[in-house]
Amino acid sequence: MTWREVTIAGYVLVVAGIVVLQLLATRTRVPIPSFGDLLTRAMRSRTGRVGVLVAWAWIGLHFFAR
Amino acid sequence: MAALAGLRAPVVWILLAIAFFTSISGKPVDGVLMLIVAVGLAWDAGRRALRQPEAGEAAVPARAAARPRGRPRPVVIALAVAGVVYAVVVGSFSRYSWPATAGIIGLSTGVVLIGWHRPVRSRPGGGRLPVAGTLAWIVVLVAGCLWELASLYLQPSLTTDSYAHPTISTLTDPLLATSPGRMLVLFAWVAFGWYLVER
Repeated sequence: MTWREVTIAGYVLVVAGIVVLQLLATRTRVPIPSFGDLLTRAMRSRTGRVGVLVAWAWIGLHFFAR
Repeated sequence: MAALAGLRAPVVWILLAIAFFTSISGKPVDGVLMLIVAVGLAWDAGRRALRQPEAGEAAVPARAAARPRGRPRPVVIALAVAGVVYAVVVGSFSRYSWPATAGIIGLSTGVVLIGWHRPVRSRPGGGRLPVAGTLAWIVVLVAGCLWELASLYLQPSLTTDSYAHPTISTLTDPLLATSPGRMLVLFAWVAFGWYLVER
């Protein structure tokens, strides 16, 4: 297995973890909050709210802006 | 004075760190924008802390009354069409061009300003989150960030891609090199931004 494959496998594992947690949260009674609940909680305070919105803005800037 | 008092908010330090690392990675515009938001947030948080020292970290004021109502269908359609038009127009420009940069900065600034004070629609606040479940999310998300950071530092330099240790940016380059790919990703980005503004 090359380092490139190992690196990509790491990303796939993280995405799989996110999907599994979201499915457990929304399709079962396991006490796991959904990603939406997590965001709502993080955005309850002003600084958390602005922090999450800026993280979103940063993604756009990083991938598209000079 | 207010800005110094606001430095107690951890988010401000995270934004300052992002501004620094983004700048040294060859993206000065991103760095300056992050710096502006960090200073603005520190000033805002400090001003509120000085006004109500006992209040600590203030919760976002709730918008109007209790139950969230669905948005009227014509408004939803108009927003979706606006999102598609934005994605098509901005996505038609090449990445890192000035028109694309202006489009991204314009929308980002608007969304952050609209969402700064409170959600645009009323939402139930939600109770306490289960600790173990929340920790599981934190572990997965932090692991993702560390994996990306490790790939970034295993590159020959911060501004040179590595085939062996690709970052998410490197892996998405083929998709974002095409106009349809850019339009698709931009539409998803816009939709997620609107979702966040309403949280």
